Amino acid sequence: MEKIYIGVDVGSVSIKVVAIDENNEVLFNSYVRNVGQPIDTVKDELAKLHNELPDKEIGGVGVTGSGRQLLGYVLGADVIKNEITAHATATLQFHPDVSTIFEIGGQDSKLIIINDGTIADFAMNTVCAAGTGSFLDHQAQRLGIKIEEFGEIALTAKRDVRIAGRCTVFAESDMISKQQYGFSKAEILKGLSKALVRNYMNNLVRGRKLKPVFVFQGGVAANIAIKKAFEEEVGHEVIVPKYYDIMGAIGIAMLAKDEMKRTGNSTKFKGFEVSEEKFETTSFICKACPNECEIIQIKANGKVIAMTGDRCGRWSNSVI
Amino acid sequence: MKITFPYMGSPYMYEKLFSLLGHEVITPPRPSQRTINYGVKYSPEFACFPLKIILGTYLEALELGADTIVTSGGNGPCRAGYYGEAQKKILQNMGYDVEFIIFDEPKRDWKSFLENVKKIKGNNSWRRVIKTVKTVYDMAKSMDKVEKIVETKRAYECNKGEFTKVWREITEEYRKIESSEDVKRVEKKAIERLNSIKICEVPEEEKIKIGIVGEIYVVMEPSINANIEEVLNSYGAEVERSHYISEWIDFNLIPLPSYKEKEHEILKKAEKYIEIIIGGHAKQSVGAIIDFMERGFDGVIHLKPFGCLPELVSQSVIDKIMREYDYPILSLSVDEQMAIANVLTRIEAFLDVIKLKKHRKRIAR
Repeated sequence: MEKIYIGVDVGSVSIKVVAIDENNEVLFNSYVRNVGQPIDTVKDELAKLHNELPDKEIGGVGVTGSGRQLLGYVLGADVIKNEITAHATATLQFHPDVSTIFEIGGQDSKLIIINDGTIADFAMNTVCAAGTGSFLDHQAQRLGIKIEEFGEIALTAKRDVRIAGRCTVFAESDMISKQQYGFSKAEILKGLSKALVRNYMNNLVRGRKLKPVFVFQGGVAANIAIKKAFEEEVGHEVIVPKYYDIMGAIGIAMLAKDEMKRTGNSTKFKGFEVSEEKFETTSFICKACPNECEIIQIKANGKVIAMTGDRCGRWSNSVI
Repeated sequence: MKITFPYMGSPYMYEKLFSLLGHEVITPPRPSQRTINYGVKYSPEFACFPLKIILGTYLEALELGADTIVTSGGNGPCRAGYYGEAQKKILQNMGYDVEFIIFDEPKRDWKSFLENVKKIKGNNSWRRVIKTVKTVYDMAKSMDKVEKIVETKRAYECNKGEFTKVWREITEEYRKIESSEDVKRVEKKAIERLNSIKICEVPEEEKIKIGIVGEIYVVMEPSINANIEEVLNSYGAEVERSHYISEWIDFNLIPLPSYKEKEHEILKKAEKYIEIIIGGHAKQSVGAIIDFMERGFDGVIHLKPFGCLPELVSQSVIDKIMREYDYPILSLSVDEQMAIANVLTRIEAFLDVIKLKKHRKRIAR
């Protein structure tokens, strides 16, 4: 039976599930919003995957994204890794000659520098989320346009308007005042795209010399105005890969495949029956010390399978 | 006099010093969420994080009955030099009647230094004071020596958590010492215990060594730096810090040139990038990075309290060093807003970068 490898990327805004074959061909992919119930969401998506590919053997499972630890545990993942490594792995597969990766997701933005086919350096946004998908989403909503139309509309602007992009609060108040002065929606959107890229350059690139080939991925890469703003900034073509919004999931699936090949182990995947299990999450405040950590407890069919949130390990170590 | 002091790294040294001199000592609790909440609530918003945590520590100690606070002053044009005064004022405004004994560098003001010493000395003979100081100094040296073993070998422990558990028990043993002889005995036993822990070694070329530099408080206090040393160890990396309390004593308190050599050497290494002491530990941080690099460490993590000016300067120098030497350095801001998920992702990715780099070098050879 042909083996497939599953990659799950549990981000703060979206959840991606993919299945790839031995040749890294994407056989299944799904991209859904994270509505705060990642376990249920992943369960549903896995059920779909199983439906579409019923006669394949699961060779390995990888989980990445900010929810990787928990989901990795629930699924029985073979590899649990950070999204920076996962993203770079997938990009190198599709664009082996890449040097610079711009990645903008729901809550964070990243810069990854590749040298001779390996990650040489990376940066993540620190104290600010002014340049991320959620903020754009919110602004599109405020202006009454669909996020999918954001880029197209912005490109129709004839004039430039400068938006203060340091922080979401200032950016928003600046946008509102510019609107009140009579600038059009298109001009505001264009200004916002440029502000976002400027912010990205100042906070993440911080004077690094960027070299082509440039690849732009993450959910925001769908926005053609931001792609254009990046191109103007670096003075070079910026590629948006075919699977721009699921690269993290593809990358982690590839890492799972490599790991299984390297070790020769069989997968720890708990199987699609996992989708029949009933999960319940509760929390309580531990009073053992003044840290008063909020302990999150996950139960599967009534049995405690994971605890997290403690700083001292008192609870999280008790279930392993 | 019920004495308390800031909690940084191990508090047992201060505790020992004052109790051996016959004072009543209130050891502050290890900084926790409660400490942070207190500190953040009562400090000016734009004060740096160490001031806030230390203020929170004082408030907790005052609740436990302390009436005298012993602390050190600062060095150079960094705000830390005024912390004692600022905190005194805050506590007074809050209605606390508390005495502050602030030790500044002896060479700056011998007279007030001696006066402070006399306050602590009480009725003890000078002979006794000197013997006590020697005991405590030996204890600090010894604890740092043993902790360095933990920071190295914990990276390879077979049973997760074993080294941390034993290290906690060892620190309790140190807490009971009375003399320099006790220190020697505890140290010998500690090293034996650590050596008996089962370790799963990895091949020499796959070992990873990480140096930690930055402002002294956030580097030394695990409860507020997300326990970074243990985290790095758990990812299989050996760790060494740029600050150890015994080395701080050597440089700042012992007036003998031979004790200052190491720090002078570190400062010299930073000269190319930062000419003068600009306060805090900016120059030390840069010097320590060069030092770690020369000693073959694979990368450096730089910790800075959010809004710390000296470390902001060293961060901009770091960009330059990274490019000049193609050397991996990760800068992390530390304050009450630090998000663990974000920090773990960065550290994990940072170690991936280092591993790939090493791997590539091996292949090239």
